[in-house]
Amino acid sequence: MKILAIIPAYNEQDCIEQTVRSLVSTCPNIDYLVVNDGSTDATREICEQRGIRHVNLSINSGLACGFQTGMKYALRHGYDAAVQFDADGQHLPEYIPAMADAMAEHNADIVIASRVLAGENLTGARGAGSRLISLLIRLTSGVRLTDPTSGMRLYNRHMLDLFAHGRDLTPEPDTVALIARKGGKVVEVPALMQERQGGKSYLDLPHVVRYMSRICSSILFLQWFR
Amino acid sequence: MSITLRILCILGAAVTFLVIAGRVRKARVRIDDSIFWIVFSLALLVIAIFPDIPIFFARLFGFQATSNFVFLVVITVLLMREFSNTIKISTLNSRLDELVQEQALQAMEEEEDGTQR
Repeated sequence: MKILAIIPAYNEQDCIEQTVRSLVSTCPNIDYLVVNDGSTDATREICEQRGIRHVNLSINSGLACGFQTGMKYALRHGYDAAVQFDADGQHLPEYIPAMADAMAEHNADIVIASRVLAGENLTGARGAGSRLISLLIRLTSGVRLTDPTSGMRLYNRHMLDLFAHGRDLTPEPDTVALIARKGGKVVEVPALMQERQGGKSYLDLPHVVRYMSRICSSILFLQWFR
Repeated sequence: MSITLRILCILGAAVTFLVIAGRVRKARVRIDDSIFWIVFSLALLVIAIFPDIPIFFARLFGFQATSNFVFLVVITVLLMREFSNTIKISTLNSRLDELVQEQALQAMEEEEDGTQR
């Protein structure tokens, strides 16, 4: 299986090189593409100097747009699958082969790396949000997901096509719910994750409120019209 | 319809018209996009000069006061405009995303072709 790791990066100068290095050394068979989403820091220069394979969006366009760029690239270059991989070092590349095995074994459309299946207990506000989203997904699509907010997801060829051409398909739990409800097969495999290795997180209150209201209203109300 | 409301309508129409005409002159807004505001200000003017028109419709629909009818019409027209603007901005955002992506992928391919040669 020819896999592309799509690494969206916005102002990730502190960790992008380390993330790419560990990916390349752990999974030498997996290609990667950094999507530099109009970073204002040295992300682009670091990629150019260190020979990191990257594509530059000329203006900051958001995660969904950056990810879609990667999906278009994957589709046009004949990849069989693409994995969404964080630039901040949270995701561990050693789990990608297990995700690929699960995809082949279950003929899955999406394989999610689940921290919960690996025994991690999501606590605090993040855990509560995650459980709420799990519940909504179970109620609306009947699919049980233990870690819907995990950002490490492997998509098969069929999904590459869907994401590359689709409109408004964000790489987020609401899209996973939509795909599951439309008959797509979503499976989870256990995987541990790390804390982000540098840069800054966007888990402040306004972002969280916007994220949760978007995901919840999308799963509860809007997906029935899509 | 009180004389105050009529004067305000005329003032509103005049200001709207002058502002939009100024923007058109400086090419800050396209003619196509200015038409709505020209028509809107003309409509305000017509309502102010011929109050019999809104009075007729207000009576027809059973409004207690003509001003209520005028407000409702203005609010409805502006809400519809706002809605169509939301749709338009959404479409523009999608197109912008598409352009940014294609430009980025093409620039990448060109650069790689360059290094291979």
